[in-house]
Amino acid sequence: MNKLLDLSDQLAAAVQRAGQSVLAVHGRPRLASTGIHWRPGLIVTANHTLQADEDLTVTSPTGETLGVTVVGRDPGLDIAILRSATPPGAVAEVGDSDTVRVGHMVLAVGAGPRASWGVVSAIGATSARRAASDVFSLDLRLYPGFSGGPLIDARGTVVGVNTSGASRHLHLAIPANAANRVIDAVVRHGRVPQAFLGVSTQQIRVPEGVRDAGAEGRDRAVIVVEVQPGSPAAAGLFVGDVILALDGVPITDPLDLRGTLRPERIGERVSASVLRAGRVVEVSLTVGERPDRAR
Amino acid sequence: MDLAELAAGLHGITVEIASDGRGAGAGVVWAYDLIVTNAHVVRGPRVLVRGADRRRVEGVVVADDRAADLALVHAPGLDLPTATCAGDEPLPVGSIVVALGHPLGVPGAVTRGIVHAVGALTPGGRAWIQADLKLAPGNSGGPLADARGRVVGVNAMIVDGLALAIPVREVRRFVQSAGVAVS
Repeated sequence: MNKLLDLSDQLAAAVQRAGQSVLAVHGRPRLASTGIHWRPGLIVTANHTLQADEDLTVTSPTGETLGVTVVGRDPGLDIAILRSATPPGAVAEVGDSDTVRVGHMVLAVGAGPRASWGVVSAIGATSARRAASDVFSLDLRLYPGFSGGPLIDARGTVVGVNTSGASRHLHLAIPANAANRVIDAVVRHGRVPQAFLGVSTQQIRVPEGVRDAGAEGRDRAVIVVEVQPGSPAAAGLFVGDVILALDGVPITDPLDLRGTLRPERIGERVSASVLRAGRVVEVSLTVGERPDRAR
Repeated sequence: MDLAELAAGLHGITVEIASDGRGAGAGVVWAYDLIVTNAHVVRGPRVLVRGADRRRVEGVVVADDRAADLALVHAPGLDLPTATCAGDEPLPVGSIVVALGHPLGVPGAVTRGIVHAVGALTPGGRAWIQADLKLAPGNSGGPLADARGRVVGVNAMIVDGLALAIPVREVRRFVQSAGVAVS
């Protein structure tokens, strides 16, 4: 038995299989990115690679050029959803990304197909993508144009969407389950809703005297500098409030707040731990949806 | 065959080539006492060739093609096993490839990866085996092999972290055109 040959054949078969639903996405000058035919007529790609909303095309695995429209963007996850009137090739087989563990062998596939090979090196929020979702950090090269392409397991099943959008040297994948939630929202609402509280915040240092009282020793939080009238925040937050945590998740800068407010939480009640007049109080708020004009 | 066995086999058919008094690169034992390497590895008409058995013999450059970046060196007395080459069948994207060479002066180092793509980097360009595999200076002229241990290409350069190898079909053509009797 030739184990190396078996593995080699398996990897090549996985790339070949996944490649049937991998597209080139033409959404920026010069360098095409990659897209995945995720559900019939719906294509997932990396949001940062779409520099325009109009005149977008994709190239199917068989070389056809098809016009597509943007149906939703989730900049927090770096996911964008495109629609094609003609189904561009086969629909990808998408797996349950919760089964992925650190050390699992994975491949990144770009349009062509092109491929690279490595392992999942960590799972969890990174400093570049706080709390937005657990992400896969990859010990694998994402070559130019690989963003938006599938991360596949050794069977060719899609487990994530690759992106180097956060940094050229930080190779990440958004888990397939998170991308599925974005698509579900698009199918249900026709767009990607953005969660909304209606506050503007700024990072501050937590005064030393209260760090131990209710801030659990943390030295950074955000201060409310504006509350939009009629917004969800207006029901309980005031300018000058210091938000320490949201549903127990520490908020150390405005990006944390944005990352914690995922679209799927719209309509849910959240509890904000707020430092107000020297005391920590819990404020209950209902997450709203960002109105169109505020987008 | 596992990776260690494969690496051992490649080790036997890979040489070090020193040219102009400098350790320069690698070469593949293509036929008895005949070495294929990159043209940019040989800097003069004579080179020193050292096999895995650490014996050093003098070699003479019998053909070179700067455009193709290939050279043929005759090294009498080298007496090493010759490489088994793959045929011209397509190399599937994702299949495992292994390189042997002397990256950054580390003699006989093995690196592994997969085929990234096969073809030109830009439309109309030269066809390469593009590999998702770590190469460094010192790998030049050395073998790129498939999971069966057959040589599929000669490593030539690194572009944006991508390893580029000259396909074995092109090497075969070069050796034939050199008109050297291959026994």
